[in-house]
Amino acid sequence: MIITTKTYQEINRKIKSKDAIVVTAEEMIKIVEENGSKVAAEEIDVVTTGTFGPMCSSGAFLNFGHSDPPIKFEHLWLNEVHAYHGNAAVDCYIGVTRMADKRPFEYGGGNVIEELVAGKPIRLRGISNTTDCYPLGEIDTYFTIDDLNQSILCNPRNAYQRYVCAVNSTDRTLYTYMGKLLPNFGNAHYAGSGCLNPLTNDPDYETIGIGTRIFLGGGIGYVMGEGTQHNPKNRFGTLFLKGDLKQMRSEYLKGVNYEQYGTSMFCGVGIPIPILNEGLAKKTAIKDKDIITDIVDYGTPRRDRPTIRKTNYEELKSGLIEINGKKIKCSSLSSLYHARQIAKELKEWIEDGKFFLNPPAETLPIETDFKPMKQVSELKFVKDLKRGAVICYEDCDIDIVAEKIVQKNTNHIVITDRDQYLKGIVTSFDVTKAVAKKKTILKDIITKRVITTTDNEPADVAARKMRKHEISALPVIDDKNKVVGIITSEELM
Amino acid sequence: MTIINITIPLGLIQQIEDYSRIVNDILKHDVSLNILKFSTSSGGINILLDLPEEKIKEITESLKSNDVQINRKGRISYDQEKCLFCGACISLCPTEALRYKDDDSIEFSEGDCIGCLLCVDACPTNAIMED
Ligand code: SF4
Ligand code: SF4
Repeated sequence: MIITTKTYQEINRKIKSKDAIVVTAEEMIKIVEENGSKVAAEEIDVVTTGTFGPMCSSGAFLNFGHSDPPIKFEHLWLNEVHAYHGNAAVDCYIGVTRMADKRPFEYGGGNVIEELVAGKPIRLRGISNTTDCYPLGEIDTYFTIDDLNQSILCNPRNAYQRYVCAVNSTDRTLYTYMGKLLPNFGNAHYAGSGCLNPLTNDPDYETIGIGTRIFLGGGIGYVMGEGTQHNPKNRFGTLFLKGDLKQMRSEYLKGVNYEQYGTSMFCGVGIPIPILNEGLAKKTAIKDKDIITDIVDYGTPRRDRPTIRKTNYEELKSGLIEINGKKIKCSSLSSLYHARQIAKELKEWIEDGKFFLNPPAETLPIETDFKPMKQVSELKFVKDLKRGAVICYEDCDIDIVAEKIVQKNTNHIVITDRDQYLKGIVTSFDVTKAVAKKKTILKDIITKRVITTTDNEPADVAARKMRKHEISALPVIDDKNKVVGIITSEELM
Repeated sequence: MTIINITIPLGLIQQIEDYSRIVNDILKHDVSLNILKFSTSSGGINILLDLPEEKIKEITESLKSNDVQINRKGRISYDQEKCLFCGACISLCPTEALRYKDDDSIEFSEGDCIGCLLCVDACPTNAIMED
């Protein structure tokens, strides 16, 4: 049974008289270790948390006020980033992963929000279908945050309870939302601040819920409820957050761009946990080594990526993790330094009597499931579409290859050794060129570095490979590099 | 593995044969090589290769004999003002040139940098730039 030792009112009374004892989640570990959770629950009033990382599900609602004559936007752009307009006349939502039409992968909604908060002028360009009540067809103007009626940061999914650690088993560099992942398990990336993470310190959602007042982007914000994809059963809880951009600081809202992935925004979030009972004292003393997560292979381009093994935040923060007996460098995508600063700043606000705690109107759900997308068309795999490869052995003559091309009416001949192991590929164009240049040795015209696929690769992934490498066929191989077919752009059409 | 930075100068490859000659010259050393980065510049095509230590000499020789330029070192600059101390570059750095300090902020030590340029496109704020 949990005995309530303190109430919100008691804590707030202490905050008001500047007597509240506030510590960060990192400091709490030592306090509980040295004094036990019972004493800690009596002595500590509030534990502060913090996180500062890329939060792709972020954005802001802005209201511009009416122009003269009035306009009802159909489309609008802020610094050339397309904002969403689907409600009323002069409201919009600017999302951080939306990229500038002409500068994609370079500048996006996150940069717009950062600049807006920094007080810089933002260009607003909009077009309208025009109506009798909203006759203006086009607008091109500049505004700053002071010119807006409301500017509300509204993030449907922030502050993941924990996140996975990403690695890459393939033989090429991957550019993902988990950063740049080197081939053959060359490095590892994780996210989140571990023992400082807000939801990690209140894992049963006893104090965080609808209406909880928080630190958001350097100002004050509120929890609106569970975030999208909230997945409490797996300890992947998320939060839906809002706050007034006019109170925020651009140092805690930073537009970023990840190579070949796109734009996002770093967002600073800090949540105070009132120590109402001994249970919360224990939970806020959670250590990095007790926060378990998965090392996941991002080399598999599927929803359910294979888990390599379990790890914990202590190992992740050590900078090295072991995979297949090899130590690889591991670093974070989110800033531990700034997470700590946020927890400290929130602590100071409370100590200075400037920030009070409130009970949530409702706590977060603990039973929600995170379902996958319903897809009505069946997912097609390479094995469903492939056909038999036309094969020649590596030691045969170009003549034979040419003959096969004609005979089988194909453009691609897969070259193998006698045991069907892949050795290369030759196209009808290669053969034509060889004939023109009077070459007869097959070895001279084989493409040896072949891009391949496997039976269980989704057809769309194979199609992306072809587009990326500007080729029109992929040999299908098994896990031993034996050829089991071919798939060409014709099958994928 | 050791990383080398090469440039195929503009105009070196006129025909597909030139290309096959260079590539086959490398392949005859029987190595698997990772191409870590591929970019074009006004000088030609820049490639960052990850090669087995013991083959470095032979391969650089054969590249040189084909007029491929071996760049000793790339150069980067690090702008702490722009740095978020996120760490997205740290795991990529093969030396300790980019590293965490005790307070988990980040520092760049030019002396330890081998100029492999792996970190440059990993930085989400352009705090690291190729010079
Ligand atoms: S270029 Fe970047 S990754 Fe390479 S050694 Fe220098 S700092 Fe490290
Ligand atoms: S990736 Fe860029 S912003 Fe992040 S720590 Fe490295 S230099 Fe700083």
